[in-house]
Amino acid sequence: MRPHIIFRYTGIILLFNAGFLFVSSLISLVYSDSAIMPLLYSAITSTLFGIFPFIFVPPASEISNKEGFIIVVSSWLISCLIGVMPYMLWGGEFSLTNAWFESVSGFTTTGSTIITDVESLPHGLLFWRASTHWIGGIGIIIFVLSVIPSMGKSGMILYKAEMSALATENFHFRAKKALHILAIVYVGLTIGEIVCLLFCGMNLFDAVTHSFATIATGGFSTKNSSIAHYGSISIEIVVMVFMVLSGIHFGLLFSAIREKTFDILRSPVTKYYFSALIIGTIIIAIDIYYTRSMSIGLALRDSAFQVISLGTSTGFATADTSGWPSFSQIILIFFTLQCACAGSTSGGIKTDRMVIFWKGVQKRLSMIKHPHAVITPKLGGSPIDIETFESCFIYIVLYVVTVFVSSLILTAFGVDLLSAFSGSAAAMGNVGPGFGTVGSMGNFSLIPDPGKWVLSFTMLLGRLEIFALILFVTIKSWK
Amino acid sequence: MGIRAKVLSGFLILACMLFLAGGWSVYELTHIGSSVQSLLDDNYRSVNAARIMTEALEREDSAVLLLQSGKWKEGRDIIAKADLSFREGFDTAKTNITIPGEKEYVNRIETAYLKYKNLWEKPIVGTSIEKNLDWYFKNAHPAFMKVKSDLVGLMAMNDRVMYNTASDLKNRAHRAVMPGIIAILSALIFSFVFNYFVNYYLVGPIIRITRGIQGYLEYNKPFDVKIETDDEIRSLSDAIRKAVTQKSHGDES
Repeated sequence: MRPHIIFRYTGIILLFNAGFLFVSSLISLVYSDSAIMPLLYSAITSTLFGIFPFIFVPPASEISNKEGFIIVVSSWLISCLIGVMPYMLWGGEFSLTNAWFESVSGFTTTGSTIITDVESLPHGLLFWRASTHWIGGIGIIIFVLSVIPSMGKSGMILYKAEMSALATENFHFRAKKALHILAIVYVGLTIGEIVCLLFCGMNLFDAVTHSFATIATGGFSTKNSSIAHYGSISIEIVVMVFMVLSGIHFGLLFSAIREKTFDILRSPVTKYYFSALIIGTIIIAIDIYYTRSMSIGLALRDSAFQVISLGTSTGFATADTSGWPSFSQIILIFFTLQCACAGSTSGGIKTDRMVIFWKGVQKRLSMIKHPHAVITPKLGGSPIDIETFESCFIYIVLYVVTVFVSSLILTAFGVDLLSAFSGSAAAMGNVGPGFGTVGSMGNFSLIPDPGKWVLSFTMLLGRLEIFALILFVTIKSWK
Repeated sequence: MGIRAKVLSGFLILACMLFLAGGWSVYELTHIGSSVQSLLDDNYRSVNAARIMTEALEREDSAVLLLQSGKWKEGRDIIAKADLSFREGFDTAKTNITIPGEKEYVNRIETAYLKYKNLWEKPIVGTSIEKNLDWYFKNAHPAFMKVKSDLVGLMAMNDRVMYNTASDLKNRAHRAVMPGIIAILSALIFSFVFNYFVNYYLVGPIIRITRGIQGYLEYNKPFDVKIETDDEIRSLSDAIRKAVTQKSHGDES
């Protein structure tokens, strides 16, 4: 392993982050707020750290898989560290723990916050907060690879290290083309939402920051009461539509738009994704309609928004779900665990794994009935191999165990069961809000400091799909 | 890039980090100084003026009651001194308008006070007002309360700004300290990285070249040292390789 090569590649990531920090400090300058110096200093420090490896380290034509893997995980960690800097320098509610939590929550597109009064933050810092979502949305490395014209073989190794196997499955293109597609869809969706929100009467700053948070399925809002602040049905519809789109595999979206091939409607995964969202919305609407005596229209509106928001791992809110009946909360927790499709910006277990899981259950039941039968489950016409089944089952089990362990540690620090479990599930799925004290209209400020570190680690585990971080920690034992 | 430029860039980056952090800390500290000064100059003076005016006003209220009870000399003595004190306080407040909305309060105080003063300037002792508590409660007390409430408003306004300035001071103190801490940590990390690069790209190749020469001299091994970087060390290595090759050819012939 060559540490200097890792320095060089993480230097690119630092420069990339510095670019966004410079833009944020410009915004701070425009609004003449108090974040200009913290942002500018962070931008300059990040640039200096990023440039230095370029001076010393000559470009490497090839990198090993191990190096590629370390570059990916280091990039996430270093970005989170750089993200801490402007918060710490600005002060206010940001202690080291809070700044780290906010930064990790931003880059992993979780959207959980420790800030009690978001609206008191300066515009520059709010923009940086939203930018962390946007940078982390499709993955830091993927974003950089799609922006930088060519990195040769090294780029492909990094691409494979960053993208999960499930995500690459629906790309019927070469890796280089897939990167371009990701970037086109990502930027296209963001611009599309900004325009739509402007039409709905939102101001430019809010439109940009909310679009960053929606397309990255993050959930940081510039308002204390999230999307509920606007009380506008048109804004809610726009945000809902773009949350749903951001939860679909980008390759399928691209094919649907550019090549007019509607695999999106034929894919069993997206069929399941849409069905789950619709059924979840209807069940919760009926539950809150009867138990909270609200009009059916409002029940449907609130239910749809919350189901889509959690079901895509975004985390915006238009209602305080902590006050909803337990039945609805359990359904929302299911969506918090499941989230949307692989190949999107969403977190969680992902609908693809859920579909494969159920195919596995069906196979097992058939095998019990017909022990000698040869059954090959298929997904969209293609057979699912044993390795895929195995990795899905292991992932789901590890996922649930991680949520359990995280909840256990949080309860040890005195957090109540509902807040601990839902908060852990929300952190692991990069969803954002949970229930109880960490509900959709609350925040994570009441979680004790050690608990915030645990949740930050859980967010990173969820974002890097568990295995990556475990392998990184055990890198020395690699042969 | 040459070795000199590389090493210089490392030190320049380090210096840049420290200089920026130092500069920013100094800027914030200077700002803290001016904030403290403005806290004292702007707000504390106004709060103090309002306090002086309130005390004077309360003495005037007592003096009015003394006049109503027929004690002309004591009443007039107190009221004259209190009026003078009120005027002094008022002049301070009028010349120290620093907050938006403060001017309106000062104008309101002036108007209300003139109305109040108009009541006690007229003779009280020996008139129908003497011993007439109804007059006090209907005229003097409401006028007194009006001035007092405006004074309380002025004081509250300045208190609020003082609190905000103090909070800002706390943030500025934090911002003055944080760049230093971050610069120390950054410089520490940067030093490790710089040290690693110097070892890997400068010290390492020199050691390899030395071993290569020793290998040639002691065991006649061919000089085969690969240098990754395109700098003076590569030139040195190429020059040695050439010299070694030439010497080998010379020995053979």
